[in-house]
Amino acid sequence: MSAEVLVFDILAVLAIISALGVILLRNPVHSAVSLVVTFVNLAGIFVMLRAEFLGVVQVIVYTGAILVLVLFVIMLVDPDELPEFHRGQPLQQAAGFIIGLMLLGELAAAILTRTVVGQPGPWTEDFVQQQGGNVQVLGQFLYSGYVLPIQAIAVILLVGTIGALVLARPDQPTVRPRTRSTGTISLAHPRGAEGEFHPPLPIGAGAAGRAARVERRGEMRGGIIVVTDAESYSDIPAWELEFAEPDVDQKTYAEDGFGIGREGDRS
Amino acid sequence: MTDQPFWITFIVGFIVLNLLLVGMAYMTWLERKVLARMQGRFGPNRTGPWGLLQPIADGIKLIGKEDLVPKFADKRIFLIAPLITFVCAPLGGLVIPFGDTVTIFGQEINLFVTDMNVAVLYMLAVGSVGVYGIILGGYASANRYSLLGALRSAAQVVSYEIVLGLSLVGVFILSSSMSLVTIVNEQRRPLEFSLAGLDFSIPNWYIFSQPVAFAIFLIAAVAETNRAPFDLPEAETELISGFHTEYSGFRFSFYFLGEYISMIVISLLAASLFLGGIDGPIADGFWWLLLKMSIFLVFYIWLRATLPRFRYDQLMGIAWKVLLPLTLVNVLLTGLIRLRGNDQISMSAFLITFAAIIVVVAAAYLASSRKQEAHVG
Repeated sequence: MSAEVLVFDILAVLAIISALGVILLRNPVHSAVSLVVTFVNLAGIFVMLRAEFLGVVQVIVYTGAILVLVLFVIMLVDPDELPEFHRGQPLQQAAGFIIGLMLLGELAAAILTRTVVGQPGPWTEDFVQQQGGNVQVLGQFLYSGYVLPIQAIAVILLVGTIGALVLARPDQPTVRPRTRSTGTISLAHPRGAEGEFHPPLPIGAGAAGRAARVERRGEMRGGIIVVTDAESYSDIPAWELEFAEPDVDQKTYAEDGFGIGREGDRS
Repeated sequence: MTDQPFWITFIVGFIVLNLLLVGMAYMTWLERKVLARMQGRFGPNRTGPWGLLQPIADGIKLIGKEDLVPKFADKRIFLIAPLITFVCAPLGGLVIPFGDTVTIFGQEINLFVTDMNVAVLYMLAVGSVGVYGIILGGYASANRYSLLGALRSAAQVVSYEIVLGLSLVGVFILSSSMSLVTIVNEQRRPLEFSLAGLDFSIPNWYIFSQPVAFAIFLIAAVAETNRAPFDLPEAETELISGFHTEYSGFRFSFYFLGEYISMIVISLLAASLFLGGIDGPIADGFWWLLLKMSIFLVFYIWLRATLPRFRYDQLMGIAWKVLLPLTLVNVLLTGLIRLRGNDQISMSAFLITFAAIIVVVAAAYLASSRKQEAHVG
C-alpha cells in the first residue's frame, strides 16, 4: 500500500509542478510541453485508480491529438507576433487574479461544505470485474442508457467541424492555377499537358515576327526559350517551334543554336 | 493468468526491454543486409562473420562523435526531445504476450509483463506520445528544414493514428476485448465451418476474418513508424533528413534506436492482432511470434527498397479519402455481421441493413468520383 501512496505522491507532485509550468513559462512551446507532462501524470493517476480506459483515452485524445495540433499552430506562428501573456495590461492581470480567487473560493466551499456523502453506487471493483471489465461496463452504459446524448454530442461536434470549415473557407472559391507559377528554362514541355492550348504563331518574317514571339513567350536566346513568367509558357515542345532566323545583326544571340550567347564569349 | 510477485514482473519487463534493444541492433544489421541483397550488393561483411559485429561498431562510432547543439536552438527541448522518442518506443512491448506461463523453480511466471484490459489502446497512446520527440526535436533545432519535418510529422501522425485506431475496431468487435492476451487466446481456437458439404478447420486468425482491416493496419503502421514510403518527416532528398538534421552523435542515435524499436514493437502488435501471435501449427510458443515478426520486418525493408516516397498531398489524400472511409465501412459491416452471429437481429433486418450500407457507400463513391472528374475535365 505504501508503494502505491509513494507512486501517487510522485505523480501528483509532478502534475502540479508541470501545471504551474504551463502558466509560468514564457515560451508557448515550453508551456505546451508542460501540459503534456501534466496530462501524462494525470493519466498515471487514472490508471492507479483502476480507470485504465480513462487514462489511456486521456493520453490518446489530449496529448496525442489536441496538443499536437496546438503545437502545430504554435510552430506555424512567428513567435514575435504572439501576444504578450506576461507583461502589461494591469486590468487583465487583476481580472485574472480575481476570477482565479473566485474559482478557488467556490472549490473550497464545495469541498468544505460536503457534509452529505452519497451512498456508494453498485460499481464496486468486484462488480466491474464480474461484468467483464471497465471498458465493457462503460460501453454498455454509454451505448444503452445514454445513446441519445452521445449522438447529440457527435452531431454537435460535426456541426462544429463544418462551421469551422465554412468560416475558414474563402468567400470566392479560388480557381486552382493549372500552370506552375515559377519560371523555368526548358527545352521540352514547359507547361505539361494540362495547360490551355496556344496555337503556334505564324512564321513571321524577320525582326517583327521574332519580336512578337519574344513578347509572347518570353525571351528567346539562340534556341533556348527563357520563360520569365507563368503566362508565357507554351504547350508546344520547343523542338516543334519554328523559330525565325536570328537577325544577322543581332550579335547577342549565339549562332550555334545552344548556349546562352554573350558578346564576350565568341571572341 | 496467475498473480505473481511484483519483482518477477519487474524481471520479465527488464528482459523484454533488453531483448528489444538487442533486437533493434540486429534489425539494423538485417536491414542493411537485406537491402544490400535487393540492390545487388553484399552489405556489411567486414566486422565479424557476415558483418555480425557491425551494430556494435556502429554504436561505438556514434558514442564517440561530438554532441553538437546549434547556437540558436531551444536548448532544453533540443536535449530532451530524442529521449522522449527513445523512451516511448519500447514501452509498447510490455503488453505483448510472448507465451502462456512457464514454471521455473516452482514459481509460475507469465510470459508477458502486464495484461491491461486496454492493452491495444495503451500501445496507441504510447506511440502518440513518442511523436512528441520528433515534433519537438524539429522545432527546437532552429532550422527551417527541421521545422518542416516536424510539421509534416505532426499532421501525418494525427491523420494516421485515427486510421490505425479505427482499423483495429473490427478486431475488438470480433474478440469483444481490447486485451492482447484475450485477443491472442481467441485466435488460438480453430474456426470450423462447412462449405459445400466439406468440413474445414482453419485457425481463427483475424487476418482471415478482417483482411481489409489488416491491409489498412499495415499501411497505417508504416506511416506511424515514419518508414519509407511514408518517411516524409525525414525525407533526405527534400528536407535533408528533416527533424534530425541538427542532431549528431548519440542524440541522433536515440532517434535511430527509437525508430527501429517502434518498428519491432508494431510488428509484434501486428503479429499478435492478426496472425495469432504465439499460435502455430505445431508447438505454440514465442518462436512463432518471432517468425511472424520477422516476416513483417522483412516486409518493411522490402517496402523501403521498392517504393518511392509519397508526395505530401498524396499522403494526406490516402489517409482521409481512402483509408478512413474504408475503415468506417469495415467497422459497420463487422458490427452488423457480429450482431447477426449473436442472433441479436433477424435475417431480414440484417439483409436490409447490409444492402442499405452497400447502396450508401456505392452512391458516395460514385458521387465523389464524378465530382473529381468534373474537377479535372
